[in-house]
Amino acid sequence: MKPIIKHILISLIALATWISSAQTDKGYRFEGNYVVFTFNKFDYEKFYHDSSKEKIKFEDLDVDNVVVAGEFNNWSKYDWEMLRVNETTYELRKHINDFKDEFTWEFKFIINNQYWAEPSEYDSNIKLAAIKGSHLNVYNLKMDTKAAIPDKKGNVSFRLKGYEDAKRIIVSGSFNRWNEDDFKMYKVENGWELKLDIKPGEYEYRFIVDGYWIEDPSNPSKNTNEFDEYNSYINVGKYVTFSLKGYANAERVILTGSFNDWNESDIEMEKVDNGLWSLRLPLPAGKHYYKFIIDGKWMLDPDNPIKEYDGQGNINSVFMVR
Amino acid sequence: MRNLFTLLFLAFVMSMHGFSKDNPKMITFPKAEILSEYTTRIPFRLIDNLIVIEAELLDQKGNFIIDTGSETLILNKVHFKTRTPHNRKSRVTSGVNAVIDNPLEKRLREFIIKDLILENKKSDVINLSHIETSKKIHLLGIIGYNILKDYEVFIDMYLNQITLSRVDSKGKRLDQRGYLEKIIDTVDFKLKNHTIVLETYINDQKLKFGLDTAAEYNQLNKRTSKKILKNFFPSKRLMLVGASGKKIEVLAGKLYRVKLSDKIYFAPMNTILTNLNQMNEAFGTSLDGVLGYEFFRQQRTIINYKKEKLYFVKFPLNKQ
Repeated sequence: MKPIIKHILISLIALATWISSAQTDKGYRFEGNYVVFTFNKFDYEKFYHDSSKEKIKFEDLDVDNVVVAGEFNNWSKYDWEMLRVNETTYELRKHINDFKDEFTWEFKFIINNQYWAEPSEYDSNIKLAAIKGSHLNVYNLKMDTKAAIPDKKGNVSFRLKGYEDAKRIIVSGSFNRWNEDDFKMYKVENGWELKLDIKPGEYEYRFIVDGYWIEDPSNPSKNTNEFDEYNSYINVGKYVTFSLKGYANAERVILTGSFNDWNESDIEMEKVDNGLWSLRLPLPAGKHYYKFIIDGKWMLDPDNPIKEYDGQGNINSVFMVR
Repeated sequence: MRNLFTLLFLAFVMSMHGFSKDNPKMITFPKAEILSEYTTRIPFRLIDNLIVIEAELLDQKGNFIIDTGSETLILNKVHFKTRTPHNRKSRVTSGVNAVIDNPLEKRLREFIIKDLILENKKSDVINLSHIETSKKIHLLGIIGYNILKDYEVFIDMYLNQITLSRVDSKGKRLDQRGYLEKIIDTVDFKLKNHTIVLETYINDQKLKFGLDTAAEYNQLNKRTSKKILKNFFPSKRLMLVGASGKKIEVLAGKLYRVKLSDKIYFAPMNTILTNLNQMNEAFGTSLDGVLGYEFFRQQRTIINYKKEKLYFVKFPLNKQ
C-alpha cells in the first residue's frame, strides 16, 4: 500500500493549486488574479550601473530600494517600488488587468534606482535586450501572462450556432487550464460568440452549455479525450519574419519549405535596406522546415543554428512557431 | 485499505476479457518522422509538465507519457483489458509518476515504433485513470526504461520532440550520421537498476540525483545534510491531495547553485522537499533527490543508457 500512497501523493492533482500559482520563471509568480514580482538577492550575481556600465558585485551594494521596471510601465526606474519582505526578498503585487494587451512582457529589477540586476544566460525566461531593434549586450526577464485573453480584436473567434434558450455558455480549453467559469460567450444573432487572443500553439477546447460539455459542432478537427468523448482542436499560428543577410547582390531569393510543400517559385523574398532580404508570412504553430533558393541555388539559413535531417537525408533549417 | 484495493483489483481482473496474446502488438506514432532505418523523431506536447506523445495501439488512438523513471512499458488497464489473471506477478513499477504494486504483467511479443520492431518487451497493465482525470488526457500508457534503453534518446524542449536512435550493445548509434547541432557538454551517469543517477554538486557538496522525465517537480530529500538545505529557499507550503482524500503538506521552494559540470549549472529550480525514503525503494537506489521537468526545460538533453552518458545540445540564444 505504501507505494500507492506515495504515488498518489506525488503524481496527483494538487497541481491544480500549485501550477496555477507557481511559475517556474524567474522574477515573478502568479497568485490567483495577481502577478507577484519577486526579487531575491541570491538570484543575481551581477549588477550594472544604469549609465556608466560599471559592474559591481552584490556584496558591495547596500540595498535601499528595489523597483520593477518594464514594458508595462515604460521602464520607469521609480514608479513600481517593491516592498521589503525580509532581508533578502522584495515583492510587488499587481493585478492581472495591468497586463491586458500582451502575452509577454519584458522587465528587470533596478536597485537604488541606478543598478540593474542582470539575469544570467542560464535563466529560462530571458530575452536579449534590444533598443529599436539593435541588441544591447544584456538580458531582460520575460513574463508570460495567460495563454488566452478575451479581446474583441482577438485572433480566434469561437462561435456556437443555436442554443437560443441556453442561459450560460463557457469556452473551456487547454489555453486556460480547462477553467469552467472564466470565458463566458455572449449572445449574438443565431447563437453565441466569444473572441479570444490566444498565444500561438496547439490547443483543445470544449463548450459548456449550462453545465453540459459538448465539442464544437462546427469544427471537424477533434481528439479523443479521457471520457472517450471528443475535444475540439485548434492550431493558432502567427506572423513570422524570415530574413537573409549577406546576399545583397543576389537577383532573386525564394523562400521554400514544408509550409508550402517546397514550392520553388511561390514565395519571393523582398529586398529591403542594407541588402537584407526579408519576408513576413503567417504560419501555424509547430515545427517548420525551410531553405532559401538564392539565384537558383538551394541554401540553408546561414544565421540559424537549428537544422535537421529529413527522411531522405537532406539537411533543412528549422523554425519553431510557438 | 489494502484488502479493499486487492478486492477491487481482482474484481476488475475477473471481469476482463480481451485481445489474444498471440497477436503481435503494434504501436504506431502517426506524427513520427522516420529519418532512417534506425532513427525516428516524434513530436511531443507538454501537458502541465509531462512529456506526452500521440500513438495508436490496437486500433486505439491516444497518448503515451515518456517516463525514464518507469522501469517498463505500462499499458492503461482502462483501455487494454487482459484475458487471464493467472500470469499475475509481483513487480513494482516505479517512477515519480507511477509507483503501483503488483501490476499485472504482460509480455508484448512485438512492440513496433513504426518500422522499428522491439520484440519481447514486458509490459505492465495498470489502471492509470487517475492520471487521465488529473491531466485531462486520453492515456494509453507510459513508455519507460525497457523501451528507451535500446535507443539514444534526445529530449528536446526547444523543438518539442523526442528523437529515438537505435544503438548497439555498446551504445554506438547504428545511424552513422551525427547530430547537426553543437554538443556543448558531456556528463557521465551511473545506471542503478533502471534509474539514471547523476552526481551533482551544490557548493562543494556531492549529491546523487535521479533523472526522471516524468517528475513534474524536482524533489529534494528532507533528510539531506544541513549544508545543502541552506541552498533551498522555501517559498510556500503546498497541500498535496491524493485520490483517497488524504492530504500531505510539503514545502515548496527554489533550490540554488546546482552544478552538473564545470560548464553546466542550473538556474534556481522549483523543488519540493519530500521524504524520499519510499521513492528510493521504487527507484531501486538511494538518492538525495530527483531532477525532472525543470532539468529538461533548461537543457536539451541526449541520454545514452548503454554508454551511461548524457550529452547537452546548445539552446538557441534567442529563446522564443
